Amino acid sequence: MSATDTPFERAADPYRVGRGRDWLSEGAGRGYVYATGHGEGGPASKRVIVGFGFWIFLLSDIVMFSAFFAAHAVLQTATAGGPSGRDLFNWWSIVAQTAFLLVSSFTCGLSAVATEARNQLWTQVALLVTGLFGLGFLVLEGRDFAAMVMQGAGPDRSAFLSSLFAVVGLHGLHVSAGLLWLGTMMAQVFVKGFRADILRRLVCFNLFWHALDIIWVALFTVVYLIGLGR
Amino acid sequence: MSHETHRRDPGDVGPGFMDAAEVTIREGIARYVIGFVLACVLTAASFYVLNTSLIWGPGIPVALIVLAIAQMGVHLVFFLHINTAPDNTNNIMALAFGVLIVALVIAGSLWIMDHLNQNMAPMHQMMQMQR
Amino acid sequence: MFGKLTWDVIPWSQPIPLVAGSVVVLIVLAILAWVVLKGYLPYLWREWITSVDHKRIGVMYTLLGVVMLLRGFIDAIMMRSQQAIAFRAAGYLPPEHYDQIFSAHGTIMIFFAAMPIIIGLMNFAVPLQLGVRDVAFPTLNSTSFWLTATGALLVNLSLVIGEFARTGWLVYPPLSELPYSPGVGVDYYLWALLISGVGTLMTGINFVTTILKIRAPGMSYLRMTIFCWTALAANLLIIAAFPVLTATLGMLALDRYLGFHFFTNDAGGNMMMFINLIWTWGHPEVYILVLPAFGIFSEVISTFSGKPLFNYRSMVAATMFICLVSYLVWMHHFFTMGAGADVNAFFGISTSIIAVGTGVKIYNWLFTMYGGRIRFATPMLWSMGFLVTFTIGGMTGVLLAVPPADFLLHNSLFLVAHFHNVIIAGVVFAAFAGITYWFPKAFGFKLDEGWGKAAFWLSLFGFYVVFMPLYVAGLLGMTRRLQHYEVAAWRPWVLIAGIGIVIMMAAAACQVIQFVVSIRRRDQLRDETGDPWDGRSLEWATASPPPPFNFAVLPNVQGAEPYWGIKQRAIETQQLSAEPRYEPIEMPRNSPTGFITAFFSTLTGFALIWHIWWLVGLGIVAAYAVFVWFAWRDAVEYSIPAEEVARYDRERRRARAQWLAQHAGQPA
Repeated sequence: MSATDTPFERAADPYRVGRGRDWLSEGAGRGYVYATGHGEGGPASKRVIVGFGFWIFLLSDIVMFSAFFAAHAVLQTATAGGPSGRDLFNWWSIVAQTAFLLVSSFTCGLSAVATEARNQLWTQVALLVTGLFGLGFLVLEGRDFAAMVMQGAGPDRSAFLSSLFAVVGLHGLHVSAGLLWLGTMMAQVFVKGFRADILRRLVCFNLFWHALDIIWVALFTVVYLIGLGR
Repeated sequence: MSHETHRRDPGDVGPGFMDAAEVTIREGIARYVIGFVLACVLTAASFYVLNTSLIWGPGIPVALIVLAIAQMGVHLVFFLHINTAPDNTNNIMALAFGVLIVALVIAGSLWIMDHLNQNMAPMHQMMQMQR
Repeated sequence: MFGKLTWDVIPWSQPIPLVAGSVVVLIVLAILAWVVLKGYLPYLWREWITSVDHKRIGVMYTLLGVVMLLRGFIDAIMMRSQQAIAFRAAGYLPPEHYDQIFSAHGTIMIFFAAMPIIIGLMNFAVPLQLGVRDVAFPTLNSTSFWLTATGALLVNLSLVIGEFARTGWLVYPPLSELPYSPGVGVDYYLWALLISGVGTLMTGINFVTTILKIRAPGMSYLRMTIFCWTALAANLLIIAAFPVLTATLGMLALDRYLGFHFFTNDAGGNMMMFINLIWTWGHPEVYILVLPAFGIFSEVISTFSGKPLFNYRSMVAATMFICLVSYLVWMHHFFTMGAGADVNAFFGISTSIIAVGTGVKIYNWLFTMYGGRIRFATPMLWSMGFLVTFTIGGMTGVLLAVPPADFLLHNSLFLVAHFHNVIIAGVVFAAFAGITYWFPKAFGFKLDEGWGKAAFWLSLFGFYVVFMPLYVAGLLGMTRRLQHYEVAAWRPWVLIAGIGIVIMMAAAACQVIQFVVSIRRRDQLRDETGDPWDGRSLEWATASPPPPFNFAVLPNVQGAEPYWGIKQRAIETQQLSAEPRYEPIEMPRNSPTGFITAFFSTLTGFALIWHIWWLVGLGIVAAYAVFVWFAWRDAVEYSIPAEEVARYDRERRRARAQWLAQHAGQPA
């Protein structure tokens, strides 16, 4: 993008306060004023635009989770005479789920390294392992839910259980959607190689998968660990 | 729109972006390994805190929350490569914004709902009133 | 096979919805037939439906909003007329129907009239004002629009197939739970809003990314227009608030569909939690609507006063202040629901404080006008009407912010008058000001001034005649949403309001006539240069309508009000700046993704409402298939050759040079 030729000097900015630096537009140092995507540098590159946009989407998703968390926090004691967390939680399953998700986050990061190295084989292997651990997480969680429903402690038993199933289930839904996306990405990388737009999408997937683990940290702390105390 | 090959900006960075020109494969893997180990330690610590009497009972939720925040920080720094460099400012600002909103939603809701619950008649009385 | 859907769900025995529905269906079919028979369908598909151009999407959003504004207005006419005759009488609308009307009125006006118009104007103007070619994610933008249209379609379908919610526009439980609302009405509401909410959230992400990351070279934050700042604030609020709406409506949907107990009467449900969460969304929502409206007024007032906006920095500060504090006041919507004195006090104080930000803005607008050379064009009239009317509405808001006062006035007509006061004066007046202001840029010709002014004066007058009596009635104790009433003291006020609605109908007629006349006379109203109002910001540097790529070369911004500077230099030196070096421009390709996604969303939403489970599954699978198919595209952009760019731009420069020659010797 070339700029228009303007034979005139930089006009004085009438809104500049004082004679000092215009701190709002200069960022942390002079160099960054003229960097793209900052202050006066012009439009950012697609990689930054896509990454930043997806980052904001993740933050909005976290706000949505926070509403479910708030509901759960309020309804944690509303067991309506039914079972509470202490009666229900299967500890080994929760430990295993946490471990699986953390490992899958790690392997996802390894796939990012493999992608930077443009290594098709290791990227696919790392992504596959990520997907398998994610699937394992879902299987364990599904079994827990089924067991609770069998016991008569399904989401329709009490408000506490409704909020539990909702917040944990929402996370599981995100993991499921993530796995579908992962499968699609693996196919795309295989067929189209490391094209610029495929790379951007892989970055987005990485962000998504790590964010899911961050949410799980909050989830198992608040819902399971703290909830156990009730 | 900008024509796209693999252009990197000199002064701007998206989140989760690893600048391979500066980081070798070994260093990249090392970052993730360190993050993974730290996360494991913090997770184990959470479960440990719950099951022992190391922490005074009423303080356990606080300890758990501190550990959780620490682990989220580990994820952000080691897995998502969020740092405080000037080219990351927008990403940090966005994160701070998100954290603020989450805090307002949760804290505000808890504060209001707690007050409402205190002032609401007990459930069995309300059910009787509805007969 | 078809779930709960049977032939009985069409309101055969209710004349009003039957006739209304039939008329609408006939009109839609007639328009479709005309389009197809005249052969416009390929053009519409290629240039509008699959367009990812922010200008086209902006026009479509605004058109959707204006049409739904009319629909919501018809609901208002029905409510006012019912209340005017229903003094110790039954009126002509049975209660079950009246309840649906006020619920639909609120839902449509907020979600499908005001939001689309504001988003449409932001879509059209923000990239142009930032000096760039499009938003960050053009195909996502198209998808946002079509998902919003899906929501609007679903709500309107409820008129003829089934029913709408009878719970008010915010579907409070337990009334909205299954035992008390067993029909499909609340389900229509839920799915329409859940689907369109996704679209709006994506708009928020799109615009925050655009404003923060995609601006012309040299455009630092403090050189953006105020409209861009308010758009940033509003879109930040969208990101902060709409997820909460999705979550809350999702919880209600879980209660209704899967027997969850978030808000039920039994098994520990807590209905106040719904009210808390829905207003956590609801308050930022009204600021999402009003902040861009303030931005529009800033643009219009400074342009038509011939002066830069007074104290730009305090405007920016006030905008971001309002943005932040709007997330700290939500509890003022339920002062009366038992939270106690200290909670009420905190939110009462924060609500009073937020008025300070708006006060700063009002003073800045007044000082912008002071000392300027004011031109009383239609957009300026709307702005001046806003200044007076909104101030009154704001003051009644501060009155309501005091919890003890609110205990008397909560859910009375005083409240209804207050929020209509601020929304009509703020958002609706801004909508008309913005539409009139940017119409020449979008279509190449101005709107007829005479009919525009008539519409303004009738709207202004009609507004006061409708709503000032409602303030009085509210103070006399009249509650909102009454299908009939017995108290004689309220009667004169309700009757005056009924007269007022007739005046507003005349205003609406003038608006429609304005468009018809303007289109007929478009050659006389033509905007030759692209700068019909002597504008100050970058959108007026382009031709009217702008070429697909907006700017042949991105402008190099050197100060605030960059276009004004360019214009003054050209006038002083009596020549345009040098012709730039033209290069090929890559633009995103059109895509049917948005339309097809919305199509399947409509099917899925309809299927969920009527419990047609196989269709739900099909819709979800199809939506995923569309996503994969779109992701598989290889050619995402097309290139506009340099010669074509040059041709567009030379045309524009020729028109400007001609204007310059005609106005030679005149002072800048």
